[in-house]
Amino acid sequence: MNTLTRLCRLWALYARMDLHWVTRDTKTFVTWSISDTLLNFGGLLGMMLLAQRFGGIGPWSQAQVLFLLSYSAVCGGVMEMFCGFNVAYISRRIGRGQLDHILAQPQPIWMALATEGFCPFTGSAVILPGVLLMAWAVSRLGLRQGPGWYGALALNIAASTVVALSFQFIWGSLAFWAPRAAEEINSASSRLLRQLRPYPLEGLAPALKGALLGLLPVGFLGWAPCRALLGMDSRPTSIWVTPLAAVGFGLIATAVFRKGLAHYGRTGSQRYLAHGHRT
Amino acid sequence: MMSASGMAGDGPLFLIDYLLRFVRVALLLAIWRTLFAGRRAVGGMPLTTVLTYTLIGEVFAEPMAGFTTMADAFWDGTITARFLRPMSLFGQFAAEAGGLWTVNFALFSAPLLACAPLLGVRALPASPAAAALFLMSLALAIVVGLAIDYISGAIAIGMELSPWIVDRSRRAVGGLLSGAIIPFALMPWGVGRALAWNPFAALASAPLQIYVGKGDPVRLMALQVAWAALLWPIAMRAWMKLRERMVSYGG
Repeated sequence: MNTLTRLCRLWALYARMDLHWVTRDTKTFVTWSISDTLLNFGGLLGMMLLAQRFGGIGPWSQAQVLFLLSYSAVCGGVMEMFCGFNVAYISRRIGRGQLDHILAQPQPIWMALATEGFCPFTGSAVILPGVLLMAWAVSRLGLRQGPGWYGALALNIAASTVVALSFQFIWGSLAFWAPRAAEEINSASSRLLRQLRPYPLEGLAPALKGALLGLLPVGFLGWAPCRALLGMDSRPTSIWVTPLAAVGFGLIATAVFRKGLAHYGRTGSQRYLAHGHRT
Repeated sequence: MMSASGMAGDGPLFLIDYLLRFVRVALLLAIWRTLFAGRRAVGGMPLTTVLTYTLIGEVFAEPMAGFTTMADAFWDGTITARFLRPMSLFGQFAAEAGGLWTVNFALFSAPLLACAPLLGVRALPASPAAAALFLMSLALAIVVGLAIDYISGAIAIGMELSPWIVDRSRRAVGGLLSGAIIPFALMPWGVGRALAWNPFAALASAPLQIYVGKGDPVRLMALQVAWAALLWPIAMRAWMKLRERMVSYGG
């Protein structure tokens, strides 16, 4: 079967399953949605209040800060929508021995991971408010950009999501070597990305700024792409910085994951139990 | 010691949280310096005071947040074993939380305090009296925080929610509502004045204001006592009524 066709059919399947869950257990859906919204927007409120009180943050005007916050919210929403069910928390799947569920399927691992996490309805609680916030920010900025700008916006959002997911996979792959100790490492790495991504990095010491673009790539989840999109970074190549970072981090994540998978092929998982619990 | 073993026994990965906390405080300090550039004071708070407020807020972040291991105990089913122990349930969670806070204070908070001069922050309290009152206020903050944590657990049981839903929601908004991240005096539209009356303000804003010498210590601590007196009976009644409905599978 054509790969693209299969991908679309799998996405449709998982979307239907997500809809079934939403409609079958609406109370849980509503409570998780509220919780997800609070989790993703609670951290942004502080920055919005500061921008309002101080008339912006450094070189960022209020409207630009709003755009930065909405960008990080949309990126978080895209992660929720496409990487749910512990795809973004890959360390849990690896540490609990649940990777065997994927390995037993007659499809490539990348296809399983690209589709199993698709939850458009449960993920909508984060992405919809983010999109609305972004629309408001764009109107306040008075941006009158053409399709090229919106294409660059979409490209950078996708790139930021890839950077975040790659970061999760790099750290999550530690679970191949330390399944119990590293099972929840992606919870910590996700917390790190979520809490730090809405901050502008102006005023930081160069070493720390470099670390937040290299070792902990939170700068690519909001600050760097927004500077490029809003023209705050006037270099013509600035719009490609985040996509290039996504390629780099993606390659590193792929290499680390493959190495871990090779190790897993020799050791397997000692933690998986047939009745669903784990040691 | 037991809390430390549970936290650090599986390996050094708990250090990631220390890294997050350090980077977060470094970012906040940089943002405050950017915001206050060219301004002597905002909301009656000069830059030096705000920097001290932020640093001390991070040093004492855990006791000021008031989280115990209750959500973990629900999730992994060990809550059932705790009911079998000849000890108060609340006392067990409080003791474990105290153990964790002590270890994290020794491993992270104390070094962070020592690094204050390197970060360009004055870490000393406004006066010796402020230091003494801060400790009293911190103790009251812990009392109120534990009550909020137990009420959250009761809500999770009563509404048959996953323990993580209430836990995550509290973490998401607790920092803002408590004034731990942004002092109430720096919030626009009078939001800070309104938030000063919510119970979360007793966790962080009250002791931090006392530490930096802002706000009336008597009024702030009276409010903390009032919240403790109001919330603890609610927490105890809620658990008395709802503990029979608790279901825990473990895993």
